[in-house]
Amino acid sequence: MRTLWRWIAIFALFGISLFFVAPRRVATAAPQAPVPAKLVSPPSADPSLDIPSTTTAVNASAPMSQRVVHYEIDAKYDASKHTVDAAEILTYHNLTGHSLDHFPFHLYQNAFQPNSTWVREAKIQGSRDIGYEKWDPKEFGSEEIKSVEVVGQGDATANLQFISPDDNNKDDKTVVDLHLSKPIPAGAFVQFKIAFQTKFPETQARSGWKRDFLLGGQWFPKVGVWWNGAWNCHQYHATTEFFADFGVYDVNLTVPQYEVIGASGIQVSSINNADGTKTVTYHGDDIHDFAWTVSPRYKVKESTYQAQMGPVQLRFLMQPAHWNQVERHERITRETLDHFEKWYGPYPYKTLTVVDPEPDSAAGGMEYPTFITGDSSWLLPNGLYFIELVVEHEFGHQYWYGMVATNEFEDAWLDEGINSYTEVKVMDDILGKDTSILNIAGIHFGEREEQRLSYVSVADRDPMAQKAYDYYNLNSYGGATYGKTASVLLTLENIVGQDTMAQAMHTYFMRYRFTHPTKEDFLKTIEEVSGKDLRWYFNQAIYGSQVLDYEVLNANSFPVNWYEDRDKEDRNKKDKDDTVYQSYVSVHRKGDFIMPVNVEITFDSGEKVREPWDGQSRWNRFSYQKKAKVVSAEIDPDHSIYFDRDNFNNSRGVEPKSKPTNKLSTYWLFITQWLGQAMAWWAV
Amino acid sequence: MANLLSSGFTKVAQNKRYIFWFWVLNLTLAEFGTAAFRRGAHAILDRSLYADRLVESFDLGVLIELISKPEFGTLKSMAYPSLYFGFMFFLTTSVVLPGIFTGYASTYRLPREEFFRACGRNLWRFIRILITAGVIMGVLAALLFAANDAIAKKAEESTNEKLPFELQVIGLAVIFLTMATLRVWFDLAEVDTVLNDQRAVRKAIAEAFRHTLRSLVRLLASYVVVTIIAAVVLLAGLWIWMKFVAPENVFGAFVVAQITLLLLLVPRFWQRGIAVSYWQERMLIPFAANVITKPVPVPVGAPVELPTPEAPPPLSTLPIEPPPS
Repeated sequence: MRTLWRWIAIFALFGISLFFVAPRRVATAAPQAPVPAKLVSPPSADPSLDIPSTTTAVNASAPMSQRVVHYEIDAKYDASKHTVDAAEILTYHNLTGHSLDHFPFHLYQNAFQPNSTWVREAKIQGSRDIGYEKWDPKEFGSEEIKSVEVVGQGDATANLQFISPDDNNKDDKTVVDLHLSKPIPAGAFVQFKIAFQTKFPETQARSGWKRDFLLGGQWFPKVGVWWNGAWNCHQYHATTEFFADFGVYDVNLTVPQYEVIGASGIQVSSINNADGTKTVTYHGDDIHDFAWTVSPRYKVKESTYQAQMGPVQLRFLMQPAHWNQVERHERITRETLDHFEKWYGPYPYKTLTVVDPEPDSAAGGMEYPTFITGDSSWLLPNGLYFIELVVEHEFGHQYWYGMVATNEFEDAWLDEGINSYTEVKVMDDILGKDTSILNIAGIHFGEREEQRLSYVSVADRDPMAQKAYDYYNLNSYGGATYGKTASVLLTLENIVGQDTMAQAMHTYFMRYRFTHPTKEDFLKTIEEVSGKDLRWYFNQAIYGSQVLDYEVLNANSFPVNWYEDRDKEDRNKKDKDDTVYQSYVSVHRKGDFIMPVNVEITFDSGEKVREPWDGQSRWNRFSYQKKAKVVSAEIDPDHSIYFDRDNFNNSRGVEPKSKPTNKLSTYWLFITQWLGQAMAWWAV
Repeated sequence: MANLLSSGFTKVAQNKRYIFWFWVLNLTLAEFGTAAFRRGAHAILDRSLYADRLVESFDLGVLIELISKPEFGTLKSMAYPSLYFGFMFFLTTSVVLPGIFTGYASTYRLPREEFFRACGRNLWRFIRILITAGVIMGVLAALLFAANDAIAKKAEESTNEKLPFELQVIGLAVIFLTMATLRVWFDLAEVDTVLNDQRAVRKAIAEAFRHTLRSLVRLLASYVVVTIIAAVVLLAGLWIWMKFVAPENVFGAFVVAQITLLLLLVPRFWQRGIAVSYWQERMLIPFAANVITKPVPVPVGAPVELPTPEAPPPLSTLPIEPPPS
């Protein structure tokens, strides 16, 4: 999830070197985790129940995931009311090893009600979606289960009970618990027949309608995940996303015939009905969610990408006013696919739908399995890479969320953060370090700086490893989850080595794809591949909220024999080469994050001295006696630390130089003068 | 229109010194307005090697980091002094404009005393005109901008994504033309007040209004052409700055910026020259000697010939009157 300036030789060389290094990163294939074999299940109540082993939507001959759920949904969309009336059949395979007597379901669209936890938190913590503040009651979103039948146990509608496991908000109806009259034994299957109606709000949190557009996300009752020995079914929070089990989706969507439709998975059929509607059927394998979109005005481009496991149909649903940007969308999609396949592992699905959502909708920058939304405007010039940034980011989620399906409620940094890290890597490689967001008229801005800046403003608020709904506010969530994770992993890359980090990421993906790994699974993979104990780093950077801020306090020199010449008028005439100077450099650890660093001291003779400092003490002083004076001192001269809170104080020149200030002041002066002239132009 | 443009430009060309002094004033006041920004930047950037990234190129990330540092101060604390000194420039312009109009109407190089005498005589008259213009322009601009926003907001309901933008552009063009018309009106009122020595400002405003309506197309077209030239000058200056000035060439950036700003002063003075030319052409009251001719030196001791009642004395020889109550 994500919406959101000139080349200089050294950065170009860095980009080129990355390009040549990149192919080598996948030279060694990491061991693939075997797909868990289906548990031998005891006979279920209904032996005819099963989860299909279809592979029509993936380029594989066998299922790639442990399939827990099979959703069959027959849905009819009323475009005038923005409602969906649907019948859902959920077949659940109890692989928990426990007998289950209740099943929690997510009813996400109930979040868009005035007293919901989502709205309450949005009002307290801030939200990028504030449309709800202007809604009439009739515009609220809702998701209502009309009836539910447990096959073999009869109607269970009366057994539904709203629960609020996270905050006890009795008005929150985003989780409903269904108690069964008879428990489902371990290994057995159970089938639920659910009739429900979903009413979409005007787009909130990347779901809903805008004008005649709809993004159908989180729109059907979805069962929780049995994880770490318990049901994991969190309420919908203002900052949280989702978590679900892998399985198979067969979805019939009946929509007006004039609509152009796109959805997760592959399109199986499309039949026109007599009532002016059409029923389009989609099938998805090894996915854990299903999203769809309609708009009568999409312009469609289709092409094929040859992935490692087989061809992938790329489908771009574009706004008419953005049709001239379809090439930008396609180029970044293909280049991102290239990079991910080369660096992390194969993309196994047969389709990828890239949606350019309705302008001004809160539907831009969202990921669903095989289905992503970009975010664009017809005014975006070349050189401003918002299209590329969003499409790359959302595609990255096909790996970090889609396949490596971590718990977004509890460890958002594992999907958003790792995805932000790979976003920096891919965008830097494609568009250049320091120019991957903006590169216009000599003004440039790069991905890694953007990530770092989003973190430093909230550096001492929250740790990365924290439930997504426990952050101080939206900025803190964003700064720690996206920005800090990307910066921490970029720094980690310089600790373990770039090739090692690349290998670790590849191993992590291949080992944990189609599973629900934890943070320790990720951290241990890096330690295992690097062969290093990195707990000192993880404890501070990931589990802690320590702030890293090193500064050069002082750097100076004075003649050793200063007292000899102090009264002589001709002391300046003394041969400078003979003067021995006492130089000192004082460095200071302002923050509470302890990390070994190098300090580079430059002398006026051109000599550079590098001193390691373990950072354990609060400050350290380096002293020298040389026939040269110190010119400058710099902490972390290789710029390998990406989350230092203040980069300005990492270095200090002995002699002040005013050129940077003069340059900025010239710009500011120009603006001030122009402002005065503009005022005088119109007012008198 | 061409006649107005050329005669207006001739007046500007014959009085280039006004533009030079206005540029000096503009630069001086802006220097004061920039002091807070400069002080904040010096404290952080002068000894940091990281600041070199701002010199070698324009790294927006470094700039954002600088602006977000609490030690630098808030952007508001930087912007307010700039706004204050921008306002000072506007006020100073208001005070010296009567001298400029007198200079433009003069056939000789206006002595400093006459320049400032004109400024002094018309100070309170100009304040009244400014207030009147401010109220009328302010109310009209507020209404037009509100209407423009309402139209754009309504257009957002359309499925045509470009429609709100296109309507906004059309709306802004209408607002520009309306404001330019008002500017023509009040420029003529200011010229009439000064050159006709009009103590009753309301009469000057009414007379200017009649002439604005009478010659609207000609006057407005002249003003629009000059505004377009100003826009071209600004864009050309920025283009030259970006294209030919190396990022580390701070002095070069300063020179290009100042030349651009100096040239940007010309168009507005040109418009005022057009207003004076029009006044001389169409609004001149025959019995009020508008053309200020160089006074003939009178021999010392020679009897002074008083002007005949039919022909009032030249404006430059009129006694200084107390400001109207």
